[in-house]
Amino acid sequence: MQGIQFANQLPEHAGYFEVPGAHLYTVLHEVEDPITRVLLVGPFASQRHNSYLPWVRWARFLAANKIEVLRYDYRGIGESTGVFDEMNFEDWSSDVQLLSSWLEARSPHVPLLLHGLELGAIFAGRAFHSGIAGGLLLWSAPADANKALRSALMRWVSLEQIFKCAAERRTASDYMRELESGSPQEVEGYLWSTRLWQESFHVSLPAGLATEERAASEYQRPVRIVKLAKDAVPLANGGTPAHDEFKDFTWLFAPNMEWILENISASSKKVTYASSH
Amino acid sequence: MLQAIDTRELIALDGLGGPIRGTFHRPHARIWSPQAARNARIPGILFLNSLSLPRAATGDSAVHWADSCAERGYPSFRLDLPGLGDSTGDITIDLLDFINSGGYKSTVAANVDELVERMGLAGVVIVGHCAGSVSALYAAAASKQCKGLILMEPYFHLPQMIRPPVRRKLSEWARSSKIGGAASDIYDRWRNLLLQLRRERLPGNANFQLMSSWKRVAISGMPILMLKAPGLKTAGTKSRVGQFDYLQYVTKLAGSRSQVTIQLIEGTDHSFANRVGRTAVREQIGSWLDKYFPLSGSEESAKAAVQATRARDERSDSLKTQIVSTRLGCGAEGRSI
Repeated sequence: MQGIQFANQLPEHAGYFEVPGAHLYTVLHEVEDPITRVLLVGPFASQRHNSYLPWVRWARFLAANKIEVLRYDYRGIGESTGVFDEMNFEDWSSDVQLLSSWLEARSPHVPLLLHGLELGAIFAGRAFHSGIAGGLLLWSAPADANKALRSALMRWVSLEQIFKCAAERRTASDYMRELESGSPQEVEGYLWSTRLWQESFHVSLPAGLATEERAASEYQRPVRIVKLAKDAVPLANGGTPAHDEFKDFTWLFAPNMEWILENISASSKKVTYASSH
Repeated sequence: MLQAIDTRELIALDGLGGPIRGTFHRPHARIWSPQAARNARIPGILFLNSLSLPRAATGDSAVHWADSCAERGYPSFRLDLPGLGDSTGDITIDLLDFINSGGYKSTVAANVDELVERMGLAGVVIVGHCAGSVSALYAAAASKQCKGLILMEPYFHLPQMIRPPVRRKLSEWARSSKIGGAASDIYDRWRNLLLQLRRERLPGNANFQLMSSWKRVAISGMPILMLKAPGLKTAGTKSRVGQFDYLQYVTKLAGSRSQVTIQLIEGTDHSFANRVGRTAVREQIGSWLDKYFPLSGSEESAKAAVQATRARDERSDSLKTQIVSTRLGCGAEGRSI
């Protein structure tokens, strides 16, 4: 584990977490006497790379406010080991459960929040639905995993088209048709299998998380659902990386952090859902 | 949590604003230790970020290449430069200007020195892609421990981070309509005429500072491998009609003692991240390392590791017929500046 602490920085420990058949790359933003812990369930595959900088800044923002954070890469993606095209949604769902248990065990009296972004929001939502964590924060949660894949595909196709002659361009529909006919397709360096595509239709956000009101009555635990718009690119899908990833996200980070502190911190008396609106 | 697993180890190097985070890919072909590396005179391979991407690069292609170099027996490293990936530091929208003016030069040179010292390496080969190749070149000129360079899609001019919307729309029109295409051809010819009049004088937006680093490094005879992806409206490694041929220029500038190799990778895009691209890059880097930085002592085990890689790739060969259909025939890039 790396645990170097510098004068004006909080310690960030990078490490590998063993799961069946692979090692997950994790970074723990450690905080002394944290008031809350958060597991960040990040964006998927190519979206990871596009939104990496603001996602890391969000983790640091939380840590600077006494909220301990664990972020990680899914199996077969980024710094984690494993072969992407051999993984499935069950494997990636299992990553959330295993890491939640590890984070919770560090200090059971400190509440745990799951925060998912895009496809990560589905994994976080499903884990929360199964009883994991005292709170849930969702950013840009799609209704199902296929919508997240489509969104990534659309972005890739639009990028690809910029650098192709008209005769050589393929539309998103072309890709989908190929996937549906059993032909794997490469999307920003990741090989999408037909199995991945077909399974994605069946991996959905639990119905109880469709709205904050419904979640409030169903789970009796704090839930916040945020739909990110274009101004949140590249955390929201779209835009051109390298143009947007340097911008200041305090307008997004501050209210979400405040919601966490008000609803899920160790000192908070709230045990039931409290809307921030 | 573990800091090291069978083939990889997480490392932190010294940086002015905090630790420089990275991944060390341990060589497979030998039992590795700094002492063993010192005795065997092994160079390390260092991969830099491509512009603002995290160290895994597009589609985790840098992970693949670092793994393959390690399998051949070369200790390989991927670093997040300050402000990028997992490393701390401030960066702004001016990142491209910062890189093009050599902003990461001293950091990379210091990282190279630290790796050589800590890992017992016989120097380092720096690998950079796109903007990363600019930092690699500056650092090579600044560090005596840099023994070789691999520049993927290097550029020697000063591009704009954000193209004006009007230019983007004009480009789109040129690519998508017949009239636009014809207008684009006429424009290219007009620019070509201007180029002819200028003869071999560098364009005003050439990166003269970088060119100076190139001259110093190339003239010294340092082995340099340049990998090119197919470009829009070009064939081979030639530049597009109407655009200054920087590759031809820098090759001439390098002189007769230089050891510059230029290879075109067909069937890929700017990122080299698709299966065709990443495999070709891996093979090119492997052959080039064998030629200029051959390893001694463990050839048999290294060969076994390479064979294991090939066997693994054969598994994905069955996919190649489908993958070919997705190749970028005239594409320039997946993402970039």
